[in-house]
Amino acid sequence: MELALNIDPEAWGPGPWTPVRTPCRFKNPLSKWRVWRNEAKCIQCGTCVEVCPYGVHTRAGKFIRKPLSYLCLGPACEKNDFYCVRRCPTQALSLRLHPVYTTLGDYRWTADLLLSTWWMAEFGTLPYADLEYRTGNSGGGFDKLRFFFPPQPKDLKLRHEDISLELPLNRRHDGRPQVVLSVPWYSAGMSFGSVSINTILSRVRAATRFNTLLSTGEGGYPEELYPYDDHVVTQVATGLFGVREDTIQRVRMVEFKYAQGAKPGLGGHLLGDKVTPAVARMRESVPGSALFSPFPFHSVYSVEDHKKHLDWIKEVNPRALVSVKVSTPTDVDMVAVGSYYAGAHVVQLDGSYGGTGAAPDIAKKNIAMPIEFAIPKVHQFLVQEGIRDQVTLIASGGIRTAYDVAKAIALGADGCQVGTAEMVALECIRCYQCESGRGCVRGIATTDPELVELMTVDWGTRRVCNLYHAWSWQLKEILRRFGMRSIRELVGRTDTLVHLDYYNLPVDDDIRRGT
Amino acid sequence: MQCHNHLHHPGLQLWQTRRDLPRPYPADRIVKGEDEGGCGVTGFAASVPVSGKHIFLPSVQMHNRGNGKGGGIAAVGLDAPSLGVSQELLEDDYLLQIAYLDPEVRREVETRFITNVFRVDHAAPVPTLADWRDLPGLEVRPPDVWRYFVRVKPEVLQYFIHRHRLYELPWAMVEDEFLSQHCYRLNQAFYASLGEKKAFVLSQGKNLMILKIVGYAEEAALYYNLLEVKAHIWIAHQRYPTRGRVWHPGGAHPFAALNVALVHNGDFANYFSVSEYLSQRHFYPQFLTDTEVAVLLFDLWHRLYGYPLEYVIEALAPTTERDFDLLPPEKQQVYRQLQAAHIHGSPDGPWFFIIARNDPVKKRFELIGITDTSMLRPQVFALSEGQVQIGLVCSEKQAIDATLASLAAEDPRFCPVADLYWNARGGSHTDGGAFIFSLERQNGKMVLSCQDKFGKPKTVPWFQKPWEGTVLPLDPERLSEMTPLLTDLLADASGYAFYDHVRVRVPTWPYSRFLEFIQLAARLAGEDDALKEALIHGLTLLLDRRYDPGDKKRSHLVRLLLDTLTEIFTASPPMGVEHPSRYRAINWETRERLTPPHRPDAVLVLDAAQFPPEGEECDARLLCQAHALGWRRFLCHGYRGQRFTGCGFGPGTDDVRIDVYGSSGDYLASGIDGMEIYVHGNGQDQLGQIMKRGKLVVYGDVGQTFMYGAKGGEVYVLGNAAGRPLINAVGRPRVVINGTALDFLAESFMAGDPLHGGGFVIVNGLEFDHRGRIREQATPYPGSNLFSLASGGAIYIRDPYRLVGEDQLNGGELVEMTQADWDLIRPYLEENERLFGIQVARDLLTVDGELRPFNEVYRKVQAVKLAVLAQVVEESGLEEVGWGQPLRH
Repeated sequence: MELALNIDPEAWGPGPWTPVRTPCRFKNPLSKWRVWRNEAKCIQCGTCVEVCPYGVHTRAGKFIRKPLSYLCLGPACEKNDFYCVRRCPTQALSLRLHPVYTTLGDYRWTADLLLSTWWMAEFGTLPYADLEYRTGNSGGGFDKLRFFFPPQPKDLKLRHEDISLELPLNRRHDGRPQVVLSVPWYSAGMSFGSVSINTILSRVRAATRFNTLLSTGEGGYPEELYPYDDHVVTQVATGLFGVREDTIQRVRMVEFKYAQGAKPGLGGHLLGDKVTPAVARMRESVPGSALFSPFPFHSVYSVEDHKKHLDWIKEVNPRALVSVKVSTPTDVDMVAVGSYYAGAHVVQLDGSYGGTGAAPDIAKKNIAMPIEFAIPKVHQFLVQEGIRDQVTLIASGGIRTAYDVAKAIALGADGCQVGTAEMVALECIRCYQCESGRGCVRGIATTDPELVELMTVDWGTRRVCNLYHAWSWQLKEILRRFGMRSIRELVGRTDTLVHLDYYNLPVDDDIRRGT
Repeated sequence: MQCHNHLHHPGLQLWQTRRDLPRPYPADRIVKGEDEGGCGVTGFAASVPVSGKHIFLPSVQMHNRGNGKGGGIAAVGLDAPSLGVSQELLEDDYLLQIAYLDPEVRREVETRFITNVFRVDHAAPVPTLADWRDLPGLEVRPPDVWRYFVRVKPEVLQYFIHRHRLYELPWAMVEDEFLSQHCYRLNQAFYASLGEKKAFVLSQGKNLMILKIVGYAEEAALYYNLLEVKAHIWIAHQRYPTRGRVWHPGGAHPFAALNVALVHNGDFANYFSVSEYLSQRHFYPQFLTDTEVAVLLFDLWHRLYGYPLEYVIEALAPTTERDFDLLPPEKQQVYRQLQAAHIHGSPDGPWFFIIARNDPVKKRFELIGITDTSMLRPQVFALSEGQVQIGLVCSEKQAIDATLASLAAEDPRFCPVADLYWNARGGSHTDGGAFIFSLERQNGKMVLSCQDKFGKPKTVPWFQKPWEGTVLPLDPERLSEMTPLLTDLLADASGYAFYDHVRVRVPTWPYSRFLEFIQLAARLAGEDDALKEALIHGLTLLLDRRYDPGDKKRSHLVRLLLDTLTEIFTASPPMGVEHPSRYRAINWETRERLTPPHRPDAVLVLDAAQFPPEGEECDARLLCQAHALGWRRFLCHGYRGQRFTGCGFGPGTDDVRIDVYGSSGDYLASGIDGMEIYVHGNGQDQLGQIMKRGKLVVYGDVGQTFMYGAKGGEVYVLGNAAGRPLINAVGRPRVVINGTALDFLAESFMAGDPLHGGGFVIVNGLEFDHRGRIREQATPYPGSNLFSLASGGAIYIRDPYRLVGEDQLNGGELVEMTQADWDLIRPYLEENERLFGIQVARDLLTVDGELRPFNEVYRKVQAVKLAVLAQVVEESGLEEVGWGQPLRH
């Protein structure tokens, strides 16, 4: 199954993606269920290898390998006649909940969500096991919203190939080039320094293949990204780290980060530990000294300063689009309108759920407005103002699944930005240790030269591409159920959603079932 | 419980009468109706009445600070004939202006609120253009405005006095309060209580009027025919509300409270708290904007509480931190009480107020500019004296220059260059962040004076006289007589021979002689490139350097120099003609004709005047296009705040040089990588952002957030920097500031180790007096925050008297200079000497007439490792990789 992807970066471009199975990097993949073989009882008869169609049991020569539990259907398999536990002649096999399962994840990113995202990143398909791949368990927001599919698709002949997920970003008709993304999401900004170069490269290569974008975050523009210039959004954030005229002129879109939904009113903060000499070189600062981004732009204290700031970037790069990333205060609608009048092409609302472990707990989820409130508020306000069709509205901050993307769009966004989901695809376990010590134990959010080596770019690219593939499939399937030919038709269609608190009949939007 | 104060304090007695005013909104429904970020504000006070068209140009100039959703103009000290009334009536009567959004309600408003209580001495509609659609910018029909000159009927006031038992109070005070409450009730009936707004009071003060509009401020001037109306003080506002649709101008600035009109740039973070504070004192906002509550605060504190202006300013912008400690103890005592009593009413957040005010008791007009404690909004003050005096205060310096240019074009007594330009330091012990221009009648004519919050006057030397427009005729004989001398002087291509010749003689020359000399030189140099280059250099030196002008005003010499330079520039052969000259002129009309340079040393002379300040067609983009075609040398003049000069050229522009003349704009030199930019005059805000490499020389002051996030470059500033210079700068920026900075210099500076390739800032703390002599400023660094949270780099500060203290540092430490430090900064000081004539030995190292060693004169501020910045390094395992090595290059 190994496929070498280390092709010349120049030759790596947008195109179709066929999922490539990309298994876990670690010896023991985590799973929901654990198939346990008692080696003392096992007689190596091989019955289990023969019966299991899911490849849980495999043979290496004479020996039978440890079971690959994450492929198992779980107790749902009991009814099958290939149920290995029953078929084992020596009762050497047992099946029970994996002890790690109960400790994994949190209410937003449940263990099921993590496991199903890993599954999608490995196979590019939806998991067949009993994993909840659509929602978390937060008890509100996206987790309480369900799609209400018509009993029968309106257009039975509609095929996935006929459905468009394209997202045009420039809707101002101001003479600047049009940028059309092939999928309605792009990668959120994570700086070089907060994550490793391999992580960034994996994401940007996936973004390139799926013809979408990656935001650099506020940490400079590593030279390794130069071959992918057309798929990079460079971020101009409050610390202005690594922002040069050169980097602004390279890209097709420049993102102004005013605030991050996870920590509005607080600037970025890269702890001294992560400011390695390489990071310091990129940002031209002092190694080992923590880096603060101030929370406002010191040059922007008002909307006319904001316009001036945008005008500046537009002057420096006459081809670039301009995106404005703001968090979601109560007057977020005014902010969005102000950004439109200041000349922004894209307004990005960053809700309160996002943020890595580096964002302070006191800020996360406690300050900004949840994204699912902010989207309709801004959408409706822009409609009232008569300018909705000239702004591209991007939602971010807690977009975990393809269902979240679809729900955000149905609530009124045009597209989404995803960050954490990609980290999970790269096997993030949400341990919230992003900022401490040498960084991430999984080699994702680290700049430590040793830890970075835990992951290769090829492996990462395949994982993220597989995830993107699975998401595209899901979005198309959702659209197919509604009989929509384009993701654009879904924008603002709140009638496609029901909220479980106000809808008492059973509703199931699992697209693994049904037609 | 009745406090006894209430019985004795007249203001508080009046205040009691407000108890039965209806509240327009329940307390829990006070929300700001419209958010507005900032806006463009401008104002000036002149000792002679000038027409409204002069507020027009700066308003147009600051178009890009508004979005056409509201603009307004206020005038104080009006001209009676142009309003069709007598002077006595103008001074004695209240000028009530009412906007009728619904013309049908006028009869009702008049019967219910005007004719029954007021003696109307004069009533007339404000004349307007015949059809509002003639102004293409207007989306909504402006309201009909009626102007009434009124006094409260004596019997009505008698009744009011009787009802509230205000027998001991002066009649005028009661009348003021009655009128104020009455207008409140009118607004309540026809504006605040209605869903569909019908009418509201624009202004009600004496000798003061306000007109506002949904559109740009200059459209208000045009629509209401203000161009020919004359007044002493004008203020205008370009509004930038972020809520899109505003269908009536009620929320636009200026706002009035009796004799005060206020415009405001910024946004209050504590609007609710301030509203609540006011409500508890029976002042209720009706229009739900920041500006309205600001003017109510002023009215409450000044008119009712009777606070002097200084205390009002203190209550608005409290003195804090080190500045508070440096106040005299008696002031501290008063200010502490003020802050304790009014902190909940003190507007928080970025704001800048311009207030125009008529004080009928003292018979005085005032123009006041107040900035917030943190100086978060841009502000520039200017003063010009001569046959006429004018004081100006604006968001941008270019708006001041535009006002002066407009005035000078009509009236030769005005000079297009002001004598003084300065920034206020918000909430400081030095100037209090506020300046007041007052106009008072002395010996039959109006005289302007300027003071800061503490009453310290700001003056220009009395013995320097303005140019009175005398021009000697240019006769050919004189030209041939002077030719040998001029040719000789201009043989020196650097221009120094010419400059030295003039500099020595200028103290004794009259203006006409100076003008004749430079005009003859211009005539002579017209045809010859070599002479022309020498002359441009010579005149530029005269413009940039400070020298003794004798009994003349430097501002007027600068004006003559700029005029002559502009003549020389515009006389260059236009783009596209065959001509041996290396100069090629281009302007807005000829911009399409841009061609590649005709010879390698060609110079592009750009007249930026007509270009839009930003956008796809701006002059900065034209420069980029020219650069792409191969142009390398640029002379740009005629600036009126056009932005982004030098931006967008891309990396590696080492062979490019740009010279900038005129009122250059924001973001100049931002992001430059290699090129040299010389600004012959003051710079505006946000210069040199993310600057990478190259050289920027500013022969004047620079504005807010100078070199934010800069990565490198060599920068020399002759004057001062405003707030927040070099915040978040990294890499290796090397900066010499010969003046000082308002505050927050080099916050979060991260520029490595200066001795090993990192960056630094040299602050000399010097200034020039009116005779071009160098002198030390009162303190080398006045602010409370120097080098806060910095982790790298250094500041070298010239501080021979050891005035900078540890209490100004937050994360830095003061250390002695070493020889290595001096060797590092010396070449930069020598370059500074070459550029500005500030000599290292004579001017910098000489203290009290005595040459001192460098380490007694300069001090170094360097970063200390703060616990919050640095984690324990050993644990991270980083120390083996290039730890402590020079960072780069």
